[in-house]
Amino acid sequence: MRKTAAAGLAVGIIAALGFAMPATASTTANAQLSVLHGIPDTPVDVYVNGELTLDDFQPGDLAGPLELPAGDYEVALTATDAADASAPVLGPATLTLAAGKNYTAAAHLSDGGDPSLKLFENNTATTAAGQGRLTVRHIAAAPAVDILAGGAPVIEDLTNPNESTLDLPVSTVSAAVALAGTTDPVLGPTDVQIQDGVLTIVYAWGSAEDDNLALAVQTVTGLHSNPGGVPSGNAGYLAQRDASTSMFAMAGVGALAIALAAGSAIVVRRRQQAQR
Amino acid sequence: MRPGTPRAHGRDGLAMATLIGTALAACLTACLVVGLAACTPSGAGESRPSPTTSSPAPTPPVTTAPTPAVQVPVAPAQLTAPAATIPPTRLRIDAIEVDMPVTGVGVESNGQMQLPADPAIAGWYEYGPDAAATAGNTVLAAHVDSIDYPIGPLASLRDVSPGTSLTVEAADASTRTYIVESLNYYEKASLPTSDLFARSGPPALVIITCGGPFDSATGHYRDNVVAIARPQ
Repeated sequence: MRKTAAAGLAVGIIAALGFAMPATASTTANAQLSVLHGIPDTPVDVYVNGELTLDDFQPGDLAGPLELPAGDYEVALTATDAADASAPVLGPATLTLAAGKNYTAAAHLSDGGDPSLKLFENNTATTAAGQGRLTVRHIAAAPAVDILAGGAPVIEDLTNPNESTLDLPVSTVSAAVALAGTTDPVLGPTDVQIQDGVLTIVYAWGSAEDDNLALAVQTVTGLHSNPGGVPSGNAGYLAQRDASTSMFAMAGVGALAIALAAGSAIVVRRRQQAQR
Repeated sequence: MRPGTPRAHGRDGLAMATLIGTALAACLTACLVVGLAACTPSGAGESRPSPTTSSPAPTPPVTTAPTPAVQVPVAPAQLTAPAATIPPTRLRIDAIEVDMPVTGVGVESNGQMQLPADPAIAGWYEYGPDAAATAGNTVLAAHVDSIDYPIGPLASLRDVSPGTSLTVEAADASTRTYIVESLNYYEKASLPTSDLFARSGPPALVIITCGGPFDSATGHYRDNVVAIARPQ
């Protein structure tokens, strides 16, 4: 059984930076960070500012999100038996996190197959009511690709380590990845559900040469907006009925508005008493 | 609960006629007063927290040793199906003789809430909280009237009073009881949608239809009639 017990990244950072961060911190002075492991066959330890923060981090796993104070963080990946961050297999690299932003740091292979680290900013801008957002990221050791939806290319010529984003109506998209200019999937097709107000990030990772290309998926919720209004009547029948009821009553009772109002008051009072 | 609460209508012919006769006069006054009050969105809901983020179905790490540290959630970055929702299927407000089926709806291309064409059917805003939600507002709405259909049951929503009990049946065969907390008129242009469609905060059932004066030039009522009910 795989150990997923991870050291507290927040604790590591507190120690490193020398100040305490409230556990419930939720201010725009902070950034959100997730970490994706997209280097095949290479479990790692992740050090942030020299502190072990993710122990035995497995390929294909996603850590976070963590709310962190804005600022620079030095990240290094080591072999899982390393005693410290002095001999990283990747890094150290500096990640600059800005307040109010949402990021995913991806450890991945370059198009040539070299381990790399890329900080992506996730687009968490508000979505229109009834829409969701799809971001596709190419972090695989593979040439340019097209993203197919229902067999037709919707994103073309996406290269490592780049991304493309679409806002789509709530739906299920049959998504596939094909080499650029082709429609024969190298990954998928896979049904991806576009949800209202949800950012779905699909990563193509692995290595074409090693035949271990795979998809990884991350979601970020809470981007939704609300309907602009509720147009719940378009015939005017109720207004007509109200008007004609009024006319009828006026004629029938002799247009004695004062008497009507008085009668109404009595009825209302009786009714209130009856309900009491 | 007072199951036998007598209604004013049907008790007394004269009273009935008088009541009908004064409906407009009384309504005019009441509507004006309520309408004015309704223009102030206070009490319609609270502001909600900002968006939150989450990884796909984060599972807590297996804890092999006690630790005071904040744990970093780690999970396979797999495609996961969205959480299943429990749609409401029927709305009953006995006090105003409302008993209508409910169907899921989304938004029109112009961003307005979709509504079933038939005023006898209520729409549930299916992107928001569902019938079993423990936070946020479950929103139901129906046309008060619609061309070529009879006037809808929610024409009497304006007659509902705070304290009225209503029930919502859900697709899982469960039934929830709510108590009406408020009834307000809002001019459509100032409908507090972010409050009414809130996805967090204390759970509530929000019922929306149209009311107020009808503008035959635009084919729209001026107001929305909004009832807010809380779980019993």
